[in-house]
Amino acid sequence: MSKYQIECISLCKKYTRNKQIVNAVDNINLCISTNEIVIIKGRSGAGKSTLLNLMCGLIKPTQGKVMIENNSINEVSNHVLSRLLLNQVGIIFQSFNLLPTYSVFENIEIGIIPKRLKQRIDKENIISLLERFNLKDNIYSLPSELSVGQQQKVAIIRTLVKEPSIIFADEPTGSVDDETAGEILESLLNLQRDKQVTLVLATHGNIIEQYADNVFTIENGRIKN
Amino acid sequence: MNYLIKELLRHRWRTITGITGYIIATFFLLLILSINSVNEKDSLGILKGTGTHFIAYIPSNTSCCVSCDNEGVNKGGSLFAEGVFTMMLNNDMITNIKKIPGVKDAAPYLLYKLFHEKFNTEISLGGIDTTNVATINNVCASADILAGKYLSNNPNEIVAEESFVMAHNLSIGDTLKLYGGKLILAGIINSGIKPGKADIYAPIENVRTILKEKLKCISPGFDMNIVLVEVTDARIQKRVIDQMKKEMNYLSLSSYNCYEPASNVITIIERTSLILSLIVFIFLIVFSVRTQLTLLMERSREIGILKSLGWSNSLLGRQIILISLIQSFIGATVGCLLGVLIIWLMNGNNLLFFDLVKFQVHFRSISTLIIISITGGTIASVFPILKLHSTTAGDMINNYL
Repeated sequence: MSKYQIECISLCKKYTRNKQIVNAVDNINLCISTNEIVIIKGRSGAGKSTLLNLMCGLIKPTQGKVMIENNSINEVSNHVLSRLLLNQVGIIFQSFNLLPTYSVFENIEIGIIPKRLKQRIDKENIISLLERFNLKDNIYSLPSELSVGQQQKVAIIRTLVKEPSIIFADEPTGSVDDETAGEILESLLNLQRDKQVTLVLATHGNIIEQYADNVFTIENGRIKN
Repeated sequence: MNYLIKELLRHRWRTITGITGYIIATFFLLLILSINSVNEKDSLGILKGTGTHFIAYIPSNTSCCVSCDNEGVNKGGSLFAEGVFTMMLNNDMITNIKKIPGVKDAAPYLLYKLFHEKFNTEISLGGIDTTNVATINNVCASADILAGKYLSNNPNEIVAEESFVMAHNLSIGDTLKLYGGKLILAGIINSGIKPGKADIYAPIENVRTILKEKLKCISPGFDMNIVLVEVTDARIQKRVIDQMKKEMNYLSLSSYNCYEPASNVITIIERTSLILSLIVFIFLIVFSVRTQLTLLMERSREIGILKSLGWSNSLLGRQIILISLIQSFIGATVGCLLGVLIIWLMNGNNLLFFDLVKFQVHFRSISTLIIISITGGTIASVFPILKLHSTTAGDMINNYL
């Protein structure tokens, strides 16, 4: 039994672009303990998003494996991976990935529908989170009617409402103003503190480095330090 | 289910497009099946009645049976069939022949020929059971009448073949002194080429009376010299003939072999119909697969997001199947209703395609189409589901399908 919650072992991801092989992630070994705040730093195109996507099982590695709570997520069945993503892992995308034809409430609700197939959705919880993020008035708005910052907040609420034990956030403040970025980071840190969540953040800036337990710098698909 | 209905309603245009595809496909398929059904019914109806008949008799001197004929030969007349003298047959033979699988009906026939000095030729007289289908196809029918009337209960009335009438300058109402009696020509007939063709015809009971003096053993139980046989379908005539020869090897069986080309054409029509239906089914499947794959492509990002949120492949797969089934069912139902309405309007206003092709809707076609559409929808959803299983959430979000 590993003492780490997340482990990347000899992780590689290669793409073929214009008939050339690109090593987006090149032999990365990484260990993250429970409740840690980990920052993966790097310039655009360094391989942060690819690494994050590999760590949460959204894409398959070319080589190596990712272990989450001693399960190799590349080897488990789709059913197990879905359960992991539903119950333990929350993902905040750089591009929010909200469903454009669904309202704010529905976009949040959809994250827990498979969990609550036979139960009632806890609407009160969703509404209180919307209140906390000053989005209660936008409950029936479509994503296109929201500002970029508000869309990111909806994406965060969608993750929070699932109450995961690990959150992967890809540039969560990348496209918002400083004030909204502060709000978002504060809520993520509060969540980490209150709910004992492991937080893995990919960023190209120097945000909240002072709060991080570990900072990894990635360059050309390799961990630098 | 709530999400499913929301999904269908939310992407109204996508849903309408999917359903419209099924409507158009089903509508045209119904038209094809309706034309096909009428065509098949008409052509098979004609062909199934072609080559379904033959005659059975026992030539004289066959060593099987006791001949009760043929004093007539000595008197210048004889029972005959196809140019040979024949024996009288027992009524039990009709019963036995009718028991053979594939035999639709069998009828007695009494065919006699006698030389008449006045006409300076042999004149054949056929005694028929006028209403029997085997008689109609093997000898003559009321539909073959050219002038006058068909046979009635009048024991003196006969009908004569057109060629015979013309050769001897006869007219309707003429009284002919034939076979020792006075026979009135009631009708002129042209029966075409038939195995049991004669010069004149009369009901079999009357012919028995006419020939009573000429035949030695016209007695109960021996009423005919030929059995006219009708089978249910041209395709089984050979089998019936073989079976009869096996059971009654003393019989001589004779047909015009029309059943062979008829049987071939029926087979061709049935195969064409089957192939057409198969093409229709394949078309529907290909169309459905294409529709469902297009929907998957369009929803790729959305499905990728749902997968990343923890929606399992089985949950998403169920949705794809249900969406496909709902669309195919609604589309097929509306398409069928539309087809029925159009066909009803066309038939109501006597509109024919190319002045010839008529449409006829069968309930069976509608239910078949709905079942085919739903089956097509189900099969069509298999491919997107396979795609769903083989693609990761990340690739779907990035639309690497």
